[in-house]
Amino acid sequence: MEWFDFVLERYNYWIVIILMMTGLYIVFARGNLVKKIVGLNLFQTSVFIYYLTIGKIAGGTAPIYVGGELDHGGGHGEEAPGHDAPGHDAPQGSDASLHETPEGASDHVNDLFGGEAGSDKIANDFASNDLKETLKDFQAQGAAAPTGGEASLHTPPEGVDGKIANDAFQNIKKPESIEFSIGDGHEAGANSLADAVHQASEVIYTNPLPHVLILTAIVVGVATTAVGLALAVRIREAYGTIEEDELEVIDNVAEFGEEARARAEGAAS
Amino acid sequence: MNFAEQLPVLPIITPLVMAPVTLLLPKGRAPWAWATLASWLTFAACVFLLREVSASSAGFISYHLGDWAPPLGIEYRVDLANALVLLLVSGIASLVFPFAYRSVQLEIDERQSSLFYGALLICMTGLLGVTITGDAFNVFVFLEISSLSTYALIAMGARRDRRALTASFNYLVMGTIGATFFVIGIGLLYQATGTLNMADLHDKLAGNHSRVVDAGFAFIVVGMGLKLAMFPMHLWLPNAYTYAPSAVSAFIAATATKVAVYVLIRFLYSIFGFDFSFMGSAFTFVLLPLGLAGMFVASFVAVFQDDVKRMLAYSSVAQIGYMLLGLSFATVEGLTASLVHVFNHALMKGALFMAVACVVLRAGSHSVEAFAGLARRMPFTTWAFILSGLSLIGVPLTVGFISKWYLLQAAFAAGHWYAGFLIVASSLIALLYVGRIVEVMVLREPAEEGKYAIPARDAPLSMLIPMWIMVAANIYFGVNTELTGEIARRAAEALMMVAGGAP
Amino acid sequence: MSAFEVELTPIVFLDLSLLTMLILVAFAMLRSRHLFAVVMLSGIYSLLSAAFFVSLDAVDVAFTEAAVGAGVSTVLMLAGMLLTARREKPKTPGRAPVALAVVFVTGAALAYATIDMPAFGDPDAPANSYVGQQYVDETPNDIAVPNIVTAVLASYRGFDTMGETMVIFTAGVAVMLLLGLGSARGGREVSDAEPEDGEAK
Repeated sequence: MEWFDFVLERYNYWIVIILMMTGLYIVFARGNLVKKIVGLNLFQTSVFIYYLTIGKIAGGTAPIYVGGELDHGGGHGEEAPGHDAPGHDAPQGSDASLHETPEGASDHVNDLFGGEAGSDKIANDFASNDLKETLKDFQAQGAAAPTGGEASLHTPPEGVDGKIANDAFQNIKKPESIEFSIGDGHEAGANSLADAVHQASEVIYTNPLPHVLILTAIVVGVATTAVGLALAVRIREAYGTIEEDELEVIDNVAEFGEEARARAEGAAS
Repeated sequence: MNFAEQLPVLPIITPLVMAPVTLLLPKGRAPWAWATLASWLTFAACVFLLREVSASSAGFISYHLGDWAPPLGIEYRVDLANALVLLLVSGIASLVFPFAYRSVQLEIDERQSSLFYGALLICMTGLLGVTITGDAFNVFVFLEISSLSTYALIAMGARRDRRALTASFNYLVMGTIGATFFVIGIGLLYQATGTLNMADLHDKLAGNHSRVVDAGFAFIVVGMGLKLAMFPMHLWLPNAYTYAPSAVSAFIAATATKVAVYVLIRFLYSIFGFDFSFMGSAFTFVLLPLGLAGMFVASFVAVFQDDVKRMLAYSSVAQIGYMLLGLSFATVEGLTASLVHVFNHALMKGALFMAVACVVLRAGSHSVEAFAGLARRMPFTTWAFILSGLSLIGVPLTVGFISKWYLLQAAFAAGHWYAGFLIVASSLIALLYVGRIVEVMVLREPAEEGKYAIPARDAPLSMLIPMWIMVAANIYFGVNTELTGEIARRAAEALMMVAGGAP
Repeated sequence: MSAFEVELTPIVFLDLSLLTMLILVAFAMLRSRHLFAVVMLSGIYSLLSAAFFVSLDAVDVAFTEAAVGAGVSTVLMLAGMLLTARREKPKTPGRAPVALAVVFVTGAALAYATIDMPAFGDPDAPANSYVGQQYVDETPNDIAVPNIVTAVLASYRGFDTMGETMVIFTAGVAVMLLLGLGSARGGREVSDAEPEDGEAK
């Protein structure tokens, strides 16, 4: 089965080569200028496919941090960067406030899991304010009872189904947490994100570099197409045709007189 | 912000920022003055940069764009080789742009003047960007910037002759295929190494003998070969140079192919190096024979042209043969000769195409008939043509002689004595085709009436002055080889050191 | 080389079917002389490749290809076709063998390269283990943008992106020069009777 593995590892390279060569063949063998441009486009698009094939990693995912790291701790509140973000100095306080005001906290939790970054931020500000008010009273107590805070998350009060909350934790996507972090403090967000990514080393991201290169190349390709077609339009206006053979004959006639046409017709028949 | 620290990026940023502004200027003189100013500022930056590089102890300046260290970020890496090419491109631009005004007035619709000068500036930016960068993919991006503007600029000749359109279209197709081949080559190298930074590529490729790298090498050489009009892939070039507006021909003929030659040198020597197994055979079996064939076939074809611009275009293909010949010797002398010829040929062709532009302005044509008796009607233009024509042939006291002298020395030093013989023989063909035009200009009677009855006055001063500066440069660098010869030799030594000795 | 082994997963069949469709569309483009059909097929080709890009985890590229390749390009080609010709005329034979030879040599060079290529999807391939991996590792420390492609595009290789905008600008200038005001459009309509001034004998 050696040959089978060999084929399996490379089949798409070969198919992409066939695609590229089809495009190149159209450019060389076809005389119609628009068709040539289409061929060039086909050739370039196939090269894009080749580039992206280089960057693919089996079992990988799109190079956007998915926050898979959140799965890691089974839904521990402290590990979610969103919770850390308001300030590293008061995580315990946060837990304490949750502990202290279960009704409000459950609302916040709901908001947080609601998914919209904006509401996240508002909820968070709200939580921070809450937090500041309660912080003074509970600083000592909060520091002493972080486990209590966790407990409040694990066994949320009425209105929040624990299972749902956990699912939400697991499904929560990093992008939201990040916008959220940036809003609150760039430094803190970056740090917590780095920690989170570090923890999530088991998530494989596909190589982002070919994607970047091809994003640039797609635009270059379209620009070339536009200029080529503009030229084709001008050629049509000036010559009345966009067939390469006919253009050649017309130019030869202009340069060498009518014998050139006769010669071209002789060659054609 | 420290001026010296930001210096390497100035030759790119200056025209890059100034080009879009050109479009906002009212038509007429303003865009021209603005583009000229941009070219002069860029030239000044390039002069400073060359001095800086020449004085630097490392032999190169590295500039990290956005302050991201390579290979993560894009690097500008300026050593003597590309500082010389930067100086050349910006120098030619700073002479051709002021020169262009009257010629463009005649050949381009006034309503398009701001677009036209904008495109010229963009073209210069692209060429400079290709030259200065130390990142392989960045080369492609700037190559496309310069190519796209070149296609449009060449097509502008359609106002006089619609064949400019087909010439431009052919160039677009061949140029895009070349660029795409180049991209495939970079993709293969990336696949084999995982990096795009040129210096890093060199390190990673050392000792890497996989088929992927072999194919990458082939694709890059063919892709660049298309761009630089290497002999059998030169078919786009003659028509493009012939039907482009005169000023555009002067600029592109002097710069575009030279930059492509530089990129080829950069990839062959700085990235692959002699450690790479294909290098020796590529030099011996591809570049050397193609260079020689180009020298002869194109020179020979040039003799039979009835159009002076087309003749000069074929001569360009032949001269590119000399450059390929020089770099294929794989010695310091050969590489020096190649770099010197890149510089010198730009001076000759720039001056020659400028002279043709003057003739087009007064006589309205670039066919040989229009040159009849010009010596009496346009003495300054005629003498500029004759002097730079002598330079093209390689007469002593001109830059052409310096090029050939270096090349001959290199050929004999490398043991290719037959190549030396062929260089001389091909110069004789150059004597034939230049002499033919000069004979028409000096000895034939000017047409008294009809299409080519030229008014008895020379080109305007705004054209004569830049043209004669260019001609003076042809003589100056032919007598004083301190700048070109010395810098080219040091650049070649540095390149050879990176490449790692003889193959 | 590496311990990585490709597994025969259902994804392989998905990829294969997408690639097969791409080949079919490409051949149809080659065969058809009806330019409208060719342009439409080219749009479909872009769309299919966008679908394949998603399978390759390149969502950003897929998005762009669908918008720019299948959208903008197709519109441009459609406009170009409507302003020029609807049908491609049969070609005089003679060029096909040359084209075939060029294409064959080029394809052979690429196929030769595939022998040494790392397996499709190999995480230890040089391309995936060096700079690309560094971007994945460094982005959270340096930029804190969740989308790594965005981080690289806008910051690490931001200069390429600026060049890209310059390319678009250049294309705009070029098209305006070619088709805009004062571009001598129509002024040079079929005029074979009188050779152009530049070339008259």
